[in-house]
Amino acid sequence: MQKVIALSALALALACGTAHAQYSGGVIKIGVMNDMSGVYADVSGPGGVEAAKMAVEDFGAEKKGMKVEVIGGDHQNKPDVGSNMARSWIDTQGVDVIVDVPTSSVALAVNQVVKEKNKVFLASGPATSDLTGPQCSPNLVHWTYDTWALANGTGKAIVKTGGDTWFFLTADYAFGHALERDTAAVVEKNGGKVIGKVRTPFPGTDFSSFLLQAQSSKAKIIGLANAGGETINSIKQAAEFGITQGGQNLAGLLVFITDVHSLGLKTAQGLIFTSAYYWDRNDASRDFAKRFAPRYKGHMPTMVQAGVYASVLHYLKAVEALKNDSDGKAVVAKMKEMPTDDPLFGKGTIRADGRKLHDMYLLEVKKPEESKAPWDYLKVRATIPAAEAFRPLNEGKCPLVGG
Amino acid sequence: MFEIFGVPSQALFGQLLLGLINGSFYALLSLGLAVIFGMLNIINFAHGAQYMLGAFTAFFLLQYLGWNYWVSLLVVPIIVGIVGIIIERLFLQWLYKLDHLYGLLLTFGLALVIEGVFRNYFGSSGLPYRVPDQLAGGRNLGFMYLPNYRGWVIAFSLVVCLATWFLIERTKLGAYLRAATENPTLVRAFGINVPRMITLTYGFGVGLAGLAGVMAAPIYNVSPQMGSNLIIIVFAVVVIGGMGSIMGAIVTGFALGLIEGLTKVFFPEASNTAIFVIMAIVLIIRPAGLFGRTA
Amino acid sequence: MSETATALLSVKGLEAWYGESHILHGVDFDVREGEVLTLLGRNGAGKTTTLKSIMGIVSRRRGSVRLEGNELIARSSDQIARAGIAFCPEERGIFASLNVEENLLLPPQVRPGGLSLDQIYDLFPNLKERLGSSQGTKLSGGEQQMLAIGRILRTGARLLLLDEPTEGLAPVIIKQIGQTIRTLKAQGFTILLVEQNFRFAATVADRYCVMEHGKIVERFANSELDANMGKLHEYLGV
Repeated sequence: MQKVIALSALALALACGTAHAQYSGGVIKIGVMNDMSGVYADVSGPGGVEAAKMAVEDFGAEKKGMKVEVIGGDHQNKPDVGSNMARSWIDTQGVDVIVDVPTSSVALAVNQVVKEKNKVFLASGPATSDLTGPQCSPNLVHWTYDTWALANGTGKAIVKTGGDTWFFLTADYAFGHALERDTAAVVEKNGGKVIGKVRTPFPGTDFSSFLLQAQSSKAKIIGLANAGGETINSIKQAAEFGITQGGQNLAGLLVFITDVHSLGLKTAQGLIFTSAYYWDRNDASRDFAKRFAPRYKGHMPTMVQAGVYASVLHYLKAVEALKNDSDGKAVVAKMKEMPTDDPLFGKGTIRADGRKLHDMYLLEVKKPEESKAPWDYLKVRATIPAAEAFRPLNEGKCPLVGG
Repeated sequence: MFEIFGVPSQALFGQLLLGLINGSFYALLSLGLAVIFGMLNIINFAHGAQYMLGAFTAFFLLQYLGWNYWVSLLVVPIIVGIVGIIIERLFLQWLYKLDHLYGLLLTFGLALVIEGVFRNYFGSSGLPYRVPDQLAGGRNLGFMYLPNYRGWVIAFSLVVCLATWFLIERTKLGAYLRAATENPTLVRAFGINVPRMITLTYGFGVGLAGLAGVMAAPIYNVSPQMGSNLIIIVFAVVVIGGMGSIMGAIVTGFALGLIEGLTKVFFPEASNTAIFVIMAIVLIIRPAGLFGRTA
Repeated sequence: MSETATALLSVKGLEAWYGESHILHGVDFDVREGEVLTLLGRNGAGKTTTLKSIMGIVSRRRGSVRLEGNELIARSSDQIARAGIAFCPEERGIFASLNVEENLLLPPQVRPGGLSLDQIYDLFPNLKERLGSSQGTKLSGGEQQMLAIGRILRTGARLLLLDEPTEGLAPVIIKQIGQTIRTLKAQGFTILLVEQNFRFAATVADRYCVMEHGKIVERFANSELDANMGKLHEYLGV
């Protein structure tokens, strides 16, 4: 008996050995790169690494004999830091797939490196729709959201309800510009007008001066084409300077649940924004959130962290099907070929340009008295079906989408 | 209503007033830096972290002890000042005989550690702190709606700055400080416990940073990186004003707030850089700073 | 040993170092209550270092310094000052960032019984006129010296250490300072004076100690000055 067990253990070990041999370096190495310590650290940060680890566990990599390793890195929101890290991860540490990468300017830089090295880039954090537009790549899947989807969701809803004149407060870098451009297009397409904009130095903390310029423009809607702490401060300061009391409304174009948490419901109530994920939407999303929170400071997951989880899960499925992770293009092609199905985003697909398609949600921040429990912050005002939520394939100018 | 360079004068006055608000913080923080540099010869890079510490302490006092803003305004500078004193006794006192660089590196490292610890426990999005009820709301000045709290910030920081200036330039205690800055050995030989005075001075400068932190809490988010965002500008202010000059720090702080306010109207993209351009020009023309004494 | 009986300050076996260099090699002398003792010697003989060592300004020192029987060698310079010794440094130490009045009022009172401001103005009438003047360092050399002496008279310390108070001053000012020292002595102050100008010293001193290479090599009273003139010329190289 003893001998049989020993033999089968040996056989299993050998089998595993052969299985490993198909993965470069014998291990599938996932590098989660994001802002671990700066303004966007709460949006993803160490929580993103945790989400990736949960995906590996839920996928059951160990049981399947796949050796998967997750590492994290801080790109400090600097494109040069990000591209150097991507290079050294791939060249010297054998990283097969880079995940997350919020901050659009960094994501665009990392995208180039991953393409050049023929690895895989699962973008969850970045917003710029250029990733699936002019900058699209056969090595990329842009999972969670993009500026077009945010603009489309929030912009359309607001113009339709009478907010037809806009003034933009735009963070002065790639993401802010893309968000402003996409939103302005939606506003104008739906009959609204953009009457002014101001580019604010990034990163900034004091927006009062720019808000006052927005106020004197008399625009009905002040569009916040910024994110994270910048959005939080803009919203707080708008309340402070009586801008919202004066009849002008704010449109948060990229708002995360952590921002609402930080603002408090009293200040944030009534704010409308678009998101790909809300933890309290259904049983599956709740289940994930309740497993995530204890692993990360009791925070409910943001849509970026949810996107990291789902994209890693789908990536592992594709690699499992291919039994190979060395050719990034092939893996991404496989990911596009297989329909996606995960507890957080449901069933979906990945388009030829790398865009992951799923429903988006128009959310509204609850009034303090509506909130029943910690993190009970949002209600779903509308579901934007996957088919309408993202930019049509032919409008993106992605070279991969030949005529 | 008339216009200046295409900007309505009303809007311009509003922007200048806002500039003054930012200038209040620049002045308070650069004042503390100037006091510390003058006495200790240490470039206190931990000033931003200590300012952040002030905001967090106010937050904790409110959250856990229910102590309101006004109590914090009094208590927090003392608490943060004591933290400063501990830092001085533990670390800084060993560095006075060494090059400036060591103090700079040590305080810079301390700042990273303090900020890192807070980020680890409280995340980076920040925590809310409410404007005290007495100062809620605002008033319409005709050219702008001024939140009462911001008006308070300008007035109070002006008072604190001038009080500090008076303390240092016009009192007996200030005379000890100034004398010890010039020749600590001789002042000590007159029977004054100079090392203790140095410790208390550091505590005082750090306390000023803590006070600025309390004042900032209701305006900005209480977040671990709130200090590092500000400190670089404040250092530029100190360099422009002249290292160690008290009045220089105050005047330059407010003046640069105003100038920055103007660039936000005419060339918003450059508003973060304007101060550094000024710094470069001042360094070329007057390397000791506008108010600095050329040694 | 009759010296010690009335000694206000008693220095024994005093050694001192600047960094690695050994400056004082065992200095012994006493200063009696109410006298003016002058340390003579060439440049580098260790006179100023002796004063600084008594004052606790030289960080590495050894031996014994007793004031009224209390050992001071292990104390810090602020504690030594508070024990009742006042110091007027060679470079005068007038503070540029303080005005004349602030300079004058700077040293804190360490004991009761210091001179009042009026008494100080009686000694130095010029100072009173210059009070309003802005920076202490804008005064003339003589006025700065008077300010440097004047400010330590308020403190209540009865032992004054004066380091070359006549250096670089005009003869008429030197005369005035000599007069001041005699007045102070008459008022009961004890003075330890460092001088190179022994013609000046002769007008004020009760006793002399001559230093060479960090030691006292000769000591005599004013009355023995003439008898020691030959040796003195040798030591001072005049």
